[in-house]
Amino acid sequence: MSAIVAALPGPVPYRPSLRKGLQPYAVVLALLVFVAWSLDYLDIDLERLPGLLGRLADVLSQRYFPPDLEHIRRPDYLAAVGETFQMSYAATVVGMLIAVPLAWFASFNLSPHRRLLYPAARLIIAGCRSVHEMIWTILIVEILGFGMLPGTVAMTLFCIGFSGKLFTEAVEAIQPGQVEAIRATGANALQVFVFAALPQVRVAWTGIAIYSWDVVFRASTVVGFFGAGGMGAFLRESVQRVDSHRVAAILLSIIAIVFVAELISAWVRDRMLRAVA
Amino acid sequence: MPTTTSSAPWPISPAMPPVLEICDLRVSYVAGPEVLKGISFAVGADEFVAIIGSSGAGKSTLIRCVNRLVEPSHGRVLFNGRDMLRLDSGDLRRERRNIGMIFQQFNLIERMSVIDNVLTGRLGHTGTLRSLFRMFRREDIERAVRLLDRFGLAEHIDKRADQLSGGQRQRVGIARALIQNPGLLLVDEPTSSLDPKISREVMALIRDAAREFAIPVLCNIHDVALALEFGTRVIGLQGGRVMFDAPAAEVDQIVLNRIYNMEVL
Ligand SMILES: Nc1ncnc2c1ncn2[C@@H]1O[C@H](COP(=O)(O)OP(=O)(O)OP(=O)(O)O)[C@@H](O)[C@H]1O
Ligand SMILES: [Mg+2]
Repeated sequence: MSAIVAALPGPVPYRPSLRKGLQPYAVVLALLVFVAWSLDYLDIDLERLPGLLGRLADVLSQRYFPPDLEHIRRPDYLAAVGETFQMSYAATVVGMLIAVPLAWFASFNLSPHRRLLYPAARLIIAGCRSVHEMIWTILIVEILGFGMLPGTVAMTLFCIGFSGKLFTEAVEAIQPGQVEAIRATGANALQVFVFAALPQVRVAWTGIAIYSWDVVFRASTVVGFFGAGGMGAFLRESVQRVDSHRVAAILLSIIAIVFVAELISAWVRDRMLRAVA
Repeated sequence: MPTTTSSAPWPISPAMPPVLEICDLRVSYVAGPEVLKGISFAVGADEFVAIIGSSGAGKSTLIRCVNRLVEPSHGRVLFNGRDMLRLDSGDLRRERRNIGMIFQQFNLIERMSVIDNVLTGRLGHTGTLRSLFRMFRREDIERAVRLLDRFGLAEHIDKRADQLSGGQRQRVGIARALIQNPGLLLVDEPTSSLDPKISREVMALIRDAAREFAIPVLCNIHDVALALEFGTRVIGLQGGRVMFDAPAAEVDQIVLNRIYNMEVL
């Protein structure tokens, strides 16, 4: 026994609890049990999995090969690629113009009005998120008809939900001390937001903004499938005609373009983060 | 002693009404026990009140009730005769403009320049639109430059606040409070993050500015030696109550031992 500390006069007031120690492991175990039960309940036959890759190769080589590369070099397809870029860009910019004030209203630490604006902004962001972006597209095509406009609107709603939530979380994670210091000078709610919050979230928000464009662009490549314009419209047409070689070419082009978009956004992000850090 | 007001802490002679008067202040944080259990005292215009007490005694809570960063559950906080606890949010903001605050962790905006940090002290007097573009008034900017110059920070004006040393940051924090032209300074452990030499410099800076501009000071401070050196009056808190309240010259070892339960000294 070490004599560095004196013995306690009474009983030790703390005892380690095995129950608490086991808790995290029990949670993981429960999750795994649930997976096993689900597989059983859904009657999922895992024995069919091993052949998956081989069969995928068969299907690709027999049905889709060779891709009809002529099709994706047609000027109207290239124009659709450009339109898809524009749609995603417009939707991201407009979406963020709306998401920024919403994020201010929806952050519990800085909301200028806790009883009205706070729940309202939370509701709008959650509402945008609770509907999948493709469902938004279908709904809005239903209302506005075919074309670029419904796609842009649907992507804007998607962007509001997506970036709004991330913006809000960044604001809620700022250091409260700086907020208190600015509040203590008699600044109003907007001044507190601009002076205490924005400098702290500048870097995070820049990253979120570029990531949002990335995600919105990826979604924009397929909204056309539901009648909302852009590259996806060509995909739908080829699928309906069961022209597998064209489908293959379009899918390839989407993968390639999303990959390029990812490279661009990574580069811009790098540049921007260095500029605002 | 030159400070006649401090020997009779409360009430103070009618000729010189107290700047701050705290009556039966009680605070409990959500669903907790009372942290302040009925605090009363008054602060005159020429006083530097040092509040001492062991950790958890309620010093920070007390000081933060004055500008309502913490909402008390009961009592009155009269600042120049107005009850801070009865103000609506607009009036509260207007009163906060007249109360400067200095923090233990400085609480500067790290990613903003030193001079902009000082100028945030004028936000309450700057229109929202102007402040959005950081278009502070010319006289405010001049004053900020003069304050920074006086505190030896002239060559750091354009630097980002996170590039300064601890002592320099606290000077910026003090300049931010002073540029408000406050009628009261609230100071919460201004030296706890600083080394002993810088600590005394910072305390001297606060005291000298307070004297020069006749600003009363309410200052939490762990270090009893600093409290006795810079305070004109010492209030000892223990367990959310005022244990003693006396001019600094009258505080002796026995009282100190009592308040710190002989742990600290
Ligand atoms: N935000 C809070 N929520 C709940 N309890 C709090 C909160 N802030 C402080 N307390 C409690 O109130 C009591 C007084 O805290 P306070 O910070 O005022 O003490 P202090 O005298 O300033 O201590 P220190 O010298 O360590 O700064 C403590 O028991 C603390 O646990
Ligand atoms: Mg404290």
